[in-house]
Amino acid sequence: MRQSALRANSDRLQQDHEFYPVHLIGLIQPHGLLLVTEGADWLVVWVSQNTDIYLHAAPQDLLGQSLSRFIAPSSMTQLQQRLAAGVDRPSYVPVTMGDRHFDGLVHQIGEQVILELEPVDAYPVVDLAFLQDEVQQAMARLRNEPDAIAFLQAAVQEIQALTGYDQVLAYQFDGNQAGSVVAEVKPAEAVSYLGLHYPATDIPELVRQLYQQGMVRFVPDLTAPHVELVTAEHVSSEDSVDLRHSLLRGVDPCCVEYHQNMEVTGLGVIALVKNHQLWGLISCHHPTAHYIPHAVRSACKILGQFIGAELTSKVNQQALNELNTLKAIQADFITSIANAADFKQALVHPEPRLLDVVRAQGAAVCLDGDITLIGNTPALEDVEPLIAWAMTDVDSDIFHTDCLSHEYPDALAFKAVASGVLMLKISQLRRYLILWFRPEVLQTVNWAGNPEASRHETEDGQVVLCPRNSFEMWQEMVEATALPWQPSEIANASALKNAIVGIVLNKADELAQINLDLERSNRELDSFAYAASHDLKEPLRGITNFSNLLMRRNAQALDEKGLKRLQTLVKLAHRMDDLIDALLRFSRLGQTALHLEPTDLNAVLERAIDVLKAGREEHKTLPQIQIPRPLPMVHGDSVLLTEVFSNLLSNALKYTDKAEPVIEVGHRMTDDLTPDLCVLYVKDNGIGIPTHHLQTIFRLFKRLHERDSYGGGTGAGLTITQKIIERHGGRIWAESTPGAGTTICFMLNFYKN
Amino acid sequence: MDKRKVMPLLIVEDSDEDFEVLQIFMEDMAVENPIYRCTTGDKALDFLYQPSGEAAAANVRPSMILLDLNLPGTDGKEVLVRLKQDQRFCEIPIVIFTTNADPSVVKFCYRKGANGYLLKPVETDRFEKAIQAFVRYWLDTNIPPDWIEIAG
Repeated sequence: MRQSALRANSDRLQQDHEFYPVHLIGLIQPHGLLLVTEGADWLVVWVSQNTDIYLHAAPQDLLGQSLSRFIAPSSMTQLQQRLAAGVDRPSYVPVTMGDRHFDGLVHQIGEQVILELEPVDAYPVVDLAFLQDEVQQAMARLRNEPDAIAFLQAAVQEIQALTGYDQVLAYQFDGNQAGSVVAEVKPAEAVSYLGLHYPATDIPELVRQLYQQGMVRFVPDLTAPHVELVTAEHVSSEDSVDLRHSLLRGVDPCCVEYHQNMEVTGLGVIALVKNHQLWGLISCHHPTAHYIPHAVRSACKILGQFIGAELTSKVNQQALNELNTLKAIQADFITSIANAADFKQALVHPEPRLLDVVRAQGAAVCLDGDITLIGNTPALEDVEPLIAWAMTDVDSDIFHTDCLSHEYPDALAFKAVASGVLMLKISQLRRYLILWFRPEVLQTVNWAGNPEASRHETEDGQVVLCPRNSFEMWQEMVEATALPWQPSEIANASALKNAIVGIVLNKADELAQINLDLERSNRELDSFAYAASHDLKEPLRGITNFSNLLMRRNAQALDEKGLKRLQTLVKLAHRMDDLIDALLRFSRLGQTALHLEPTDLNAVLERAIDVLKAGREEHKTLPQIQIPRPLPMVHGDSVLLTEVFSNLLSNALKYTDKAEPVIEVGHRMTDDLTPDLCVLYVKDNGIGIPTHHLQTIFRLFKRLHERDSYGGGTGAGLTITQKIIERHGGRIWAESTPGAGTTICFMLNFYKN
Repeated sequence: MDKRKVMPLLIVEDSDEDFEVLQIFMEDMAVENPIYRCTTGDKALDFLYQPSGEAAAANVRPSMILLDLNLPGTDGKEVLVRLKQDQRFCEIPIVIFTTNADPSVVKFCYRKGANGYLLKPVETDRFEKAIQAFVRYWLDTNIPPDWIEIAG
């Protein structure tokens, strides 16, 4: 006789726990026996070595013989019917062998038929009708549980009532397949596992796959010595038996030791499969050996399937409720943004709404240079570099993390408020972003023992998994980590982005329309100014022309007084003409575009002096204008700046009582805060301006003196000058000591290469 | 007699005062050309397209048009565009005579084929100088497009 191939190499069991082929273990638990047959004549090829206990026959008496020799003909017929129907999972058949009755489970795997037998006389008989009723009532009670956690708590209680296990736990697997205990029922004195986490490595991958297929697993006594499967030479076509679906399958030593460390002797496990995914397990523990009859195990399996199916709707309902709440907030939010006149204000007020939409505790809204902080956020000087990093290093429009410092190490400095970040880039071109923050949750993961303790490295660097010896709580502090962003919250942020992009586009359209309107109204204003001046001038021309004609052609009919009055009439009409021209000039100044270019103010001043010279009567020469040092280059419109200088110089020449007026044109720097600006000045030693008039001189048509004194004028020169300076982004002011002179100062931008 | 003296001049001007002063200054310069005046743009177009009365009898076709822009009804700009687009009238020189100094209007008129643009100043001396310059150039010196026909 020989063992199965794997048993011969049992050293390997300790190693490769995760990849260990548990299905080829070649051992069964001792509370039943197992026979493997091949071929149409049911030739027994493998048997468990405990046949003499149940059948009073040694294994070698069975091997190589047809099963029909040992089994009651009625049982054989039932087995044949089952096999004909196809059984890839264990199927119940009552089996009589000699004088003993067994609960039989038969299934076929490959060429082999596996028959597992458990004696029915060893345990009390189960009342099936009673059991069925129990299960149905349990299901009805569970259906009424509204939320997922209460449902699971009720589920473990039902399982306990059904099976009589001492302690029943419900595990839920997380994204990394680590489990945590979410529901528990236990005796008062037992250690609680509720809230504890178990590393993924605690369950081997193959076993996990089997659980995913809905497996239930019952081990009445983990301490009971296992029984080997044996075969005879040349009897079996296979050198091992695949026990993956076998209920009697032996427990691998790793698992035995693992549970014994938890002081468990009787073990039962029921898979919870939700939407074809292994959602969790119900694990049943008993401190002593605890046998569950086949009928109860079947009931557990049915209940497990029911729990898994119900879980789908319970968990989905919970998520749906949350989703609906979020959607409602989002809809409200988008409506108010869309209707708001000020987009940013709508985003930011009322504050809680922007936070609620993704359940964050803080947010930063960045619209180009303008950053608004809401709720609990890092300081502005920390948010700015974070935004800069997001613009350069984050490719996607929507980005989220529950541990920002993994991606952006500087975030450790403000992990308390912003360990979690959800970021929305509204525009790739412009710095339009919304960042939401979640605080660090000093999450204490209560591992059931140090998760690393189940992994050891051998001297040659191989990772070996061993059963952990300690199940005392091992706490791990998870730092710089926030509660994870849920898919529904991320979806909300994404929907918000689409809404904002739409709104921004709408606003851009509105803006374009406003620009268009503005352009049209500017054009209209422009033509209005011309039309007005045109219509005002026509009667004026009639007055001057007819007055002049009267004076020229009918002079003899008028006395000297009459002639004089006609002259006044003409003079007044000319003045009116000048005023209309000044008004037209002023109204046009606000609308025509500036031709900004590097401008040498020395050349501008020279041109202004030429203009003044041309306008003066021949006998009057222009006084020397002092320029202490050459004027700078500025950024400006040279034609308009020429007008500025000629206006200011002309005023300086006009408003003086000196025979030899002294005029100085110069410039000085401004303070260090505005290194790009320079102050220019035109200084005279004229009559000066009373302090209370220093502002009024810039008003349109405002004169401080009688109409004809100091050479007359419309009173528009300084107004036009001020307008030109303001259109250059500068400002103009007057400084004066009455009787000593006036200095008009103005600021312009330096031109810099 | 200089053939030019018989070239008819059409003046489109709504202001009686401006027209009277214009006439006085032209008389001072002994302008002999027959002068026809229309006070609106529509009347000017009718004068050319549907002549009636005196103009129709004489079968008048102006050799020169002095056109104000600010007119009741159809304004001077529209009259300019109509005539310059019309094969029959496009060669008649049109000089704009207006108070409107809007650079965009000046540009518009030249673009549409105006042959000159004179501003009406408020000052009488300058107004007179503008009339004199017009008469000397457009009536006394310039050769109109229909010169040969008339000479013939």
